[in-house]
Amino acid sequence: MTESPVDFRTEPARYRHWTLAVDGDIATLTLAVAEDGGLRPGYALKLNSYDLGVDIELADALDRVRFEHPTVRALVVTSGRERVFCSGANIFMLGLSSHAWKVNFCKFTNETRNALEDASRHSGLKSLAAVNGACAGGGYELALACDEILLIDDRSSAVSLPEVPLLGVLPGTGGLTRVTDKRKVRHDLADVFCTTVEGVRGQRALDWKLVDALAKPGRFQDAVAERARALADASDRPREATGVALPPIAREVSVDSYRYAHVGVAIDRARRVATFTLRGPSPDAPADIDAIERAGARWWPLSLARELDDAILSMRSNEPAIGTWVIESAGDVAALLRVDAALERYRGHWFVRETLGKLRRTLARLDVTSRTLFALVEPGSCFAGTLFEAALAADRVYMLAGGDRPPKIALSAQNFGAYPMANGRARIAARFHDDAAALGAAHAAAGKTLDAGEAAALGLVTSAPDEIDWADEVRLALEERASLSPDALTGLEANLRFGGAETMDSRIFGRLTAWQNWIFVRPNAVGERGALKVYGTGVKAQFDWDRV
Amino acid sequence: MSAIDYGERIPNNVDLAGDRALQRALEQWQPDYLAWWHEMGPEASSSLDVYLRTAISVEPSGWANFDYVKMPDYRWGIFLAPRDEARRIHFGEQAGDPAWQEVPGEHRANLRRIIVTQGDTEPASIEQQRHLGLTAPSLYDLRNLFQVNVEEGRHLWAMVYLLHRYFGRDGREEAAALLERRSGDGDNPRILGAFNERTPDWLAFFMFTYFTDRDGKFQLCALAESGFDPLARTTRFMLTEEAHHMFVGESGVARTLQRTAEVMRELGSDDPRAVREAGAIDLATIQRYLNFHYSVTIDLFGADVSSNAATFYSAGLKGRFEEGKRDDDHRLGGMTYRIVEAVDGRLAERDVPMLNALNEVLRDDFIRDSVAGIGRWNRVLEKNGVAARLVVPHKAFNRRIGSLAGVRVSPGGEVVDEQTWRLHERDWLPTADDRAFVASLMGRVVEPGRFAGWIAPPPVGVNRQPIDFAYVRFG
Amino acid sequence: MEAAVIVTADATVEAQKQHLIDPEICIRCNTCEETCPSDAITHDARNYVVDAAKCNACMACIGPCPTGAIDNWRIVARGAAHGVDAQLGWDVLPPDDAPATAPAVAATAGAVPAVAREPRGPGATVPPASAAHPQVNLHSPRAPARAIVAGNFRITAADAASDTRHIVLDFGATPFPVLEGQSIGIVPPGVDADGRAHVARRYSVSSPRDGERAGYNNVAITVKRVTADHGGRAAHGHCSNYLCDLAKGDAVDVIGPFGDTFLMPDDPAANLVMICTGTGSAPMRAMTERRRRLAHGEGAGRLMLFFGARSAAELPYFGPLTRLPRTFIDVNLAFSRTPGEPKRYVQDRMRERAVDLAALLADPRTHVYVCGLAGMEEGVLAALADAVRAAGRDWDEAWDSLRASGRLHFETY
Repeated sequence: MTESPVDFRTEPARYRHWTLAVDGDIATLTLAVAEDGGLRPGYALKLNSYDLGVDIELADALDRVRFEHPTVRALVVTSGRERVFCSGANIFMLGLSSHAWKVNFCKFTNETRNALEDASRHSGLKSLAAVNGACAGGGYELALACDEILLIDDRSSAVSLPEVPLLGVLPGTGGLTRVTDKRKVRHDLADVFCTTVEGVRGQRALDWKLVDALAKPGRFQDAVAERARALADASDRPREATGVALPPIAREVSVDSYRYAHVGVAIDRARRVATFTLRGPSPDAPADIDAIERAGARWWPLSLARELDDAILSMRSNEPAIGTWVIESAGDVAALLRVDAALERYRGHWFVRETLGKLRRTLARLDVTSRTLFALVEPGSCFAGTLFEAALAADRVYMLAGGDRPPKIALSAQNFGAYPMANGRARIAARFHDDAAALGAAHAAAGKTLDAGEAAALGLVTSAPDEIDWADEVRLALEERASLSPDALTGLEANLRFGGAETMDSRIFGRLTAWQNWIFVRPNAVGERGALKVYGTGVKAQFDWDRV
Repeated sequence: MSAIDYGERIPNNVDLAGDRALQRALEQWQPDYLAWWHEMGPEASSSLDVYLRTAISVEPSGWANFDYVKMPDYRWGIFLAPRDEARRIHFGEQAGDPAWQEVPGEHRANLRRIIVTQGDTEPASIEQQRHLGLTAPSLYDLRNLFQVNVEEGRHLWAMVYLLHRYFGRDGREEAAALLERRSGDGDNPRILGAFNERTPDWLAFFMFTYFTDRDGKFQLCALAESGFDPLARTTRFMLTEEAHHMFVGESGVARTLQRTAEVMRELGSDDPRAVREAGAIDLATIQRYLNFHYSVTIDLFGADVSSNAATFYSAGLKGRFEEGKRDDDHRLGGMTYRIVEAVDGRLAERDVPMLNALNEVLRDDFIRDSVAGIGRWNRVLEKNGVAARLVVPHKAFNRRIGSLAGVRVSPGGEVVDEQTWRLHERDWLPTADDRAFVASLMGRVVEPGRFAGWIAPPPVGVNRQPIDFAYVRFG
Repeated sequence: MEAAVIVTADATVEAQKQHLIDPEICIRCNTCEETCPSDAITHDARNYVVDAAKCNACMACIGPCPTGAIDNWRIVARGAAHGVDAQLGWDVLPPDDAPATAPAVAATAGAVPAVAREPRGPGATVPPASAAHPQVNLHSPRAPARAIVAGNFRITAADAASDTRHIVLDFGATPFPVLEGQSIGIVPPGVDADGRAHVARRYSVSSPRDGERAGYNNVAITVKRVTADHGGRAAHGHCSNYLCDLAKGDAVDVIGPFGDTFLMPDDPAANLVMICTGTGSAPMRAMTERRRRLAHGEGAGRLMLFFGARSAAELPYFGPLTRLPRTFIDVNLAFSRTPGEPKRYVQDRMRERAVDLAALLADPRTHVYVCGLAGMEEGVLAALADAVRAAGRDWDEAWDSLRASGRLHFETY
């Protein structure tokens, strides 16, 4: 299923499955999946089931609400279909998909659900799942990502996580984790819930904390409006503001490259390496808020974030064999530090807040990307502040020591909490496992340009070869990496990048996803008679009964 | 050290003068090397003028330059056999690809390990032999010892060159570590066991150069086949020097036998005590030394079933002895090789996958080569009318590595119990008494043309010089 | 493998010099096989051997051999070389001078390849029994000895075509002990057109061991200014011109000494037969001068000199030579270009003196020295052979004896 590349760029006018309606400070996202609108041939998106294409629209819509509709304070997510809210990921699509596709799909849907929670946590955009019909599997997982779940109490509509009994897989898009961590459902009740195909409805759903409120069909719309109103009133989004339009991301794509205004990706297929080049802001980047608002989507931080986001998503989906991403940068360190200062100074402004959010989510995508990330700090590079986060996200950082134009890096205030990882920690804090001395020294160096020796002394780079060693050292590291098992590397990197404390998000990306991906390759799910394969064919799944 | 005249001080054919990376690495390493030489090199030798061979180019006429040199001034050079532009990897899974001119990242760790392991043996043997100069049986032998020493030093340079040139900082660190380990230092030993044993006397030295340097020859031959071309070219040139070391061993033992045989003839007796009293080394003692060095050395080839050996071969890193002259598929998949192991108190043969048995294959090649030389030793006895012969002990005798490790096997190849072993060990391996006796014969002879009483003069001198030539001059 | 002519009593047989490896000394290290550019060396489990059909005596294997086993040569009749299979079966080399097949042959070898040292040639490879022990290689190109020119004298007539000079080098406090018959190397300063240091040239010393001036640490050499190559074409000998142009007081870098077989016997009763052309006279002068200074009267060995040049004017040391008493040295000059006279070469003079020569050669105390251009070897050997045979003795036997006892020495170039 990788015939034509996936394009993650879309806009409301092109949506086939969602509609976005804004009414004052409340926006409503309505799901009415076009059955014939699958991203790939071979399956029909019945019963408001979704595939990657549906979720790409949802992710886009969330960004639109955040940037283009700054005065929207509450978001209602509901269904445009009768008696069905959403029946989750399309099973036939999953049955047809390669393992890699399934994993990548789940990662994106997870990131999109996290984005809903991110909007609530960081931007005051509260969300209500208006569950107006059957809400199964991924549908309930979508509802779980909202701040509140209002379930229609029509004696038939239920919320359910039927993956285990029906498909032999897990509710892997955060379902299991959110039931316990977010909704605090008792684990024995959750056990019953997750093994009951028909799910739980009405009062029991409320009693078990699976939903927050019930409403009879006749009152449902009123209840939605009431709850949305209450959520909107609790928001800190601005009463008045002019949105920033998000024009289509301009890019040039060739067989072996993606080129954006501030991001370039060059693919070396023989070596299985892609080089990401991140370009810093121009020296005349706006420094005051009016100019920043006027710049809008052209403002460097937002432009960079959108482009990098698109590049990451495109490379993840379309270039699975390119196992190593080399991250390089170029530009003017001082200009970047000035932009960082503006980000810091105006962080309370809604637009800057949303821009920081976009950067935060994009960098977090990098953290959970199943590719080796090596950052190379070379002459002319611009690894400072915000861009240094990309280096901090990398598995290794190589910095050239000395030379005619010795490269410099710099930290800024933006490196100390502005862009938390999925585990809620600043990358630099995670890097040093919260060691106060190391963090203190790094903090004291913020704002200064650091050469390789200083950077190495502060623990900010992995290795600082001089110009004599540089080419060989880097070549050897890349070649050596390219020879290792991609599976083992994925596991290794995912474990090492997220040391220490866990959050619900990191548990989703770690524990839940890892189990799910294991189940995805087991014959009990995907063998000839595996549950996922035979679903809907009338053939009974056959299991290997040995517990592993 | 920035003022080194690289071409003159360090003869080389690797464009040292134009290679900054190499210069930088050597600027640090070369003084460390000299410091190591002064600390751990041949004892009390720095002021001697030694008639040594120095390689100044890879041409046949260029690498055997004889002159008097003080060893610390020896010009340790860096030489690779000439490059064959069309050379291809000729074994393993990548057979047919062009030979690598740079280290493939995929094989960096394995290649580094191979090179470090080989490189570590070079300074180790110098350390092992550092006291021998004080008991040399003649100036001729003293000179040969020093020649071996400086060439082991050059072999270290050859391996260090590869580390410096191809392995970046890791390589420099490994190169530094080669000067930091010490043979026989329990806390900081050399990598391979046999290189932590002392070489206490000249008979041991000759046996060491005959057997253990022959292990070196076979390892170098296998590496000379490597797909990593600089390693292949480096080791190929090293082989020309390694030959001298084996010559010292083979002729040294032969001359010892010659003298022993002469004494036996004069005495008309083969009684070891009589031979000893006459100041020569009895054949039984020589046989026990042989048993010891032979068995310790064949352990150096590693476990008889080895996944590393298979990996190194399949990856094209280390071939077989005379790989190019063998006419199989050079991939060896599906082929088997017969190894010996002990089962229920008896030695039994078992077929194992050839790829995993490559250590054993190399060991058997070594054994064939060793046995041939021992045959030549026996001709010395034969010509002198001595009926006794030296014999090679069984492959399973006194092994510490591989599936035969710890099994008690007699030199004849019978598995014996611990009690029998204890009873006969003194007949099979050198005893403290043997070593003490040999040590008692060791005294320095420094008069040109004179030889200690336990060893015969050589048939010809070095570089056509007469035997009474002043091979070493005491300043 | 190279051709030579083997002269037997009654026939001339094409002969060849065969390269062999001594199986008793060889350690089967494979170095020679690896080195051989002609793939002439092969081996089995027993021996390393040289295929006579492939070996071109390039000598590349000689230096690298760690044992010396490689450096063995036998004269054999052409077509009768020892085969590879036969060699593979050997435990020892066949005895020297016993060819692979048939008649006992005598041989004159062709010119020695210009590489490394000489293989088994017509002369001895051991010094005379009573020769003093030579010092060799005291000074290397890396650390040459510095000498000062104490004198530079033309020793051919001023109007002669050839400019040959007697150059005296003083070593001051630097030890540079030489024996008569040894040579020293001169390293011209500077670099050649390719930027490489000049190659050192060797010159036989023409002064005796106690110095050109007795008791002084100086050495004389005889240098002919090279203006043409052996074929007569114009050529500029860098080193010889450098030397001939030196002025008194100039510094010269010198290496060596070299040579450990072409040495004179210390036995005062030994006879010396000296045969030379041109600057080949240098070692003869040294030996003659040594004997002259010892000035033994009764019982002193005889000196007999055969000295060739194009003309008397081009004969180095002509003046001093002719002033030596006949009782001290029996001088026989041969001029090949004296106008109005037939060309005479040293071998012609030797044949004229065959009876006296044969008498000397019959004396085990007689030592023969030949020095000069390589082309003279053959004629000199033939003249010696004729003289011995004419006296009714077997030349092969005599020749063997001369070589084995270090009494026949060639230094040709």
